[in-house]
Amino acid sequence: MSQSKIQNPKSKMSRRDLLRLTAAGFVGASMSGWLENMAAAAAQDPQRKRSCILLWMNGGPSQMDTFDLKPGHANGGPFKEIDTNAPGVRFSEHLPRLAKHGDKLAIIRSMKTKEADHGRATYLMRTGRPPGGPIQYPVLGSLVAKELERPDSELPGFVSIAPIRFLSPGAFGSGFLSPQYAPLIVGENAGNFVVQGQQQDAAQFLKVQDLDLPTGINAKRAAARVKMLDEMEEDFIAERPGTASVAHRAAYQRAVTMMRSEAVKAFELDKEPKELRDRYGRNLFGQGCLLARRLVERGVPFVEVTLNSVPNAQVFGWDTHQDNFNAVQKLSGVLDPAWATLLEDLKAKGLLDTTLVVWMGEFGRTPKINAQKGRDHWANSWSTVLSGGGIKGGQVVGKTSADGTTVEERPVPVSDLLATIATVLGIDPTKQNPSNVGRPIRITDPGSKPIQEVLV
Amino acid sequence: MTQQRWWPLACLALLAAGPALGADPPAGDKDALALAAKIDTHLQAGWDAAKVKPAPAADDAEFLRRVSLHLAGRIPSVAEVRSFLRDPAPDKRVRVVERMLASPRYVTHFTNVWRAWMLPEANASFQARFLVPGFSAWLRKQLAENVTYDKMVHELLTAPVGAQQAQFVYGGNQQANPSAFYVAKEIKPENLAAATSRLFLGVRLECAQCHHHPFADWKREQFWQYAAFFSGLKRQNQGDFAVPGTEAADSKEITIPGTERVMQAKFLDGSVPKWKVKEPTRKTLADWVTSANNPYFARATVNRLWEYFLGTGICDPVDEMVGTETKPSHPELLDELAADFAAHKFDLKYLIRAITASKAYQLSGVRTHPTQDDPRLFARMPLRGLTADQLWDSVAEATGYRSGGGALPPGVFVANNGNPREAIVGKFADLTGKATEFQTTILQALSLMNGKVIEDATGLQSSEILLAIVDNPFMTTRERVETLYLATLSRLPKEKELSRMVRYVESGGAEEAKAPNDDEKQKRQAQALADVFWILLNSGEFLLKQ
Repeated sequence: MSQSKIQNPKSKMSRRDLLRLTAAGFVGASMSGWLENMAAAAAQDPQRKRSCILLWMNGGPSQMDTFDLKPGHANGGPFKEIDTNAPGVRFSEHLPRLAKHGDKLAIIRSMKTKEADHGRATYLMRTGRPPGGPIQYPVLGSLVAKELERPDSELPGFVSIAPIRFLSPGAFGSGFLSPQYAPLIVGENAGNFVVQGQQQDAAQFLKVQDLDLPTGINAKRAAARVKMLDEMEEDFIAERPGTASVAHRAAYQRAVTMMRSEAVKAFELDKEPKELRDRYGRNLFGQGCLLARRLVERGVPFVEVTLNSVPNAQVFGWDTHQDNFNAVQKLSGVLDPAWATLLEDLKAKGLLDTTLVVWMGEFGRTPKINAQKGRDHWANSWSTVLSGGGIKGGQVVGKTSADGTTVEERPVPVSDLLATIATVLGIDPTKQNPSNVGRPIRITDPGSKPIQEVLV
Repeated sequence: MTQQRWWPLACLALLAAGPALGADPPAGDKDALALAAKIDTHLQAGWDAAKVKPAPAADDAEFLRRVSLHLAGRIPSVAEVRSFLRDPAPDKRVRVVERMLASPRYVTHFTNVWRAWMLPEANASFQARFLVPGFSAWLRKQLAENVTYDKMVHELLTAPVGAQQAQFVYGGNQQANPSAFYVAKEIKPENLAAATSRLFLGVRLECAQCHHHPFADWKREQFWQYAAFFSGLKRQNQGDFAVPGTEAADSKEITIPGTERVMQAKFLDGSVPKWKVKEPTRKTLADWVTSANNPYFARATVNRLWEYFLGTGICDPVDEMVGTETKPSHPELLDELAADFAAHKFDLKYLIRAITASKAYQLSGVRTHPTQDDPRLFARMPLRGLTADQLWDSVAEATGYRSGGGALPPGVFVANNGNPREAIVGKFADLTGKATEFQTTILQALSLMNGKVIEDATGLQSSEILLAIVDNPFMTTRERVETLYLATLSRLPKEKELSRMVRYVESGGAEEAKAPNDDEKQKRQAQALADVFWILLNSGEFLLKQ
């Protein structure tokens, strides 16, 4: 591994110099107050890089009851289909606010993948490759962070909000990329409290803890400590190279940068108007989407927000093996205001044109309704949605059969979806990164093609 | 409310020079050492074939720290390190392993280890956390009595799972309760089939649950034939919490969901069970699984423990040993280990003695040649993340931190409840990912740099252990720095490190200007020693295991 020297190309300072300065407060102090102006300036910057917000539907959402309804068919279920503001684009009645933004959505109804186990499919959808084998693939967020992260950024290039990692831990890491592209994770485990009905303000779970120096330690001492520590780490990595030692040093460097950064104010959701916070929904996912906007505004290229369990739905996330319709209605009730408000808020801040909002889970659900009024795992024909900047909205891509069980037009494999996302973000999907097995690996599989009709 | 204090006894132990650890028991048994020699022969052959130059042997300090983390779940105390380094006996490594295997720490730690393997749900599921105390109590009993592994698994596979267990399974009490295993798997035959085949047989079947396995030979029918052994289990529905109902103990068939196809119970190797009258179905399964003739059981167990001690399974991943393209790196070694383990009545301590006595286990983690990088050749000890329990217990050992009553049972995590242990453990909760691919997170770094636990441990007002070092008038700065290295990294500093740290402390730490008087000079030196302690506690060398 050759990541032990992390350089900051823009400043020409060594990473260690930068650390020393930031830890001592010099850089941080000089930047106070720039932040609130930055958002407005950034929005008008023609050079502004694109960002991506991934709305991750943990458990596998039912396409049949969200974006590919089959009214009238036995597989269809009780939900009605409604018009949106885009002609010909229709979806579930339980997404009424999103229906006002049909012109900003490209619904892909012809996803066709090959994994129907939560762990394996999560890895597949988030890395573009099936699990197993010696290569540790990075997830989409890490790939995007590496390409689009600003060299002077004080925040990590990849933030993951309220993820559920245990089914597929490898699907949340930077793989063979440097650990500096691993996600900053906030709000993990917070879902337990929401499920248990403890109605605390969800925003409190989205804060980054322990950012302040310990009592009695001034900036000078903190800087001295960090400098000596980093020297130790350098020696340690030289003796024992490997993921663990390199990642340890990178995490500390990131943490120190954040400690002195004004940009961490992104996590102070109480700075937002009360009315706007209400519109997003005062739940973990809604406030997570608001946080995503604040992070994108501050230049973070990739933010993902996981929607898992919601109160009073007796299922884990979207894994609706039983009681599907009740659960999907409740989940839609959280998803709809958050997503719609996110699009409106991005537009108001001038960020919509440069921000792609992706909606997907690890797979879809069986068109056939099972004996427990549930739907099981299904990878053969399901839906994802692209929305926001850089795409042609107001359209549906692909088509499934009348019973929903097969793709009839334009099957889309995962590699094509990820190639589309990369292309929309201005990243060449054929670009190669060095891997842990010695040979270079493309961002998406050779042979993958962006979905042309979605591109602007 | 949790009571905690900085334990003065730890300070005394820290400064004690003496042996004070009692006489060591006699060295490990001959058979285990013979097995260690076989391990060495096989690995040497692998190195020769691949022209690998293995890392040098770990020195005593590196070995002691490693084996202490592996067997006791925490770093050694300063007194333990001093005494071990001074001991001239050639068989001291074998004897220290014996002492640790006989210590209550072995029971405590391996209870955590087996709990994480058997009840991984508790790391993620709110409901499953309630099951931990009873299940851990059962594990503790097995390990304290050194019940052989076949008996332990047999008891688990035949544990009563009925309405009676429903009453106390979520009780949160310490009643030994193996049925928690079933409840954690939601009392579903398919979940139990998947979990038991992974754990006890090294077979990953669950992809065959819905369809033929894409990369393996397992057929959907085989999955459900195996699941049929658990078909008699009944679940009462109580919302999110699975609760057992009365079992039909002789049920032997199951219908594949969504089909009309009824599957009869059949072993994974394709053999048909010889049913006995009135014998519960799960007992027939347990007899087959834990038999010395079972083709998978011993192999899966030695492979899992091998991964635990050496970072990578001989067959890796450890739960995909059969029917996939996964090939063992040292097939003969795997066979011999399995046969020997079965021949020694599945004695876990026997296996541990053999592995820890091998040269491979005692190699250094320092990379001295590029050929040492392939983890499947075991030519260098890989770096790994600590488990949350190892991390906490090591922090406690290094800093003298003790928490009194009110501490939560191991594995139980409640966010933001103000308990300092949980503040750290919650951020390091196991994710069942590969330990060798561990990546420290930004939040972990922040909590160790700025969080309350390390703040108190390195504060001159709050840390008795630090004060004991700072205030000891007979210690030089060199000795003070050395003691901090022993307390945290379990080794003496190298000359370069020592001079760097001593220079830092004696020049007054972060202050550049000269101290105006002696009081101020002493105060600055004390602060600088606190800084050294902080640096060591935050270092990768402290927070990762080698």
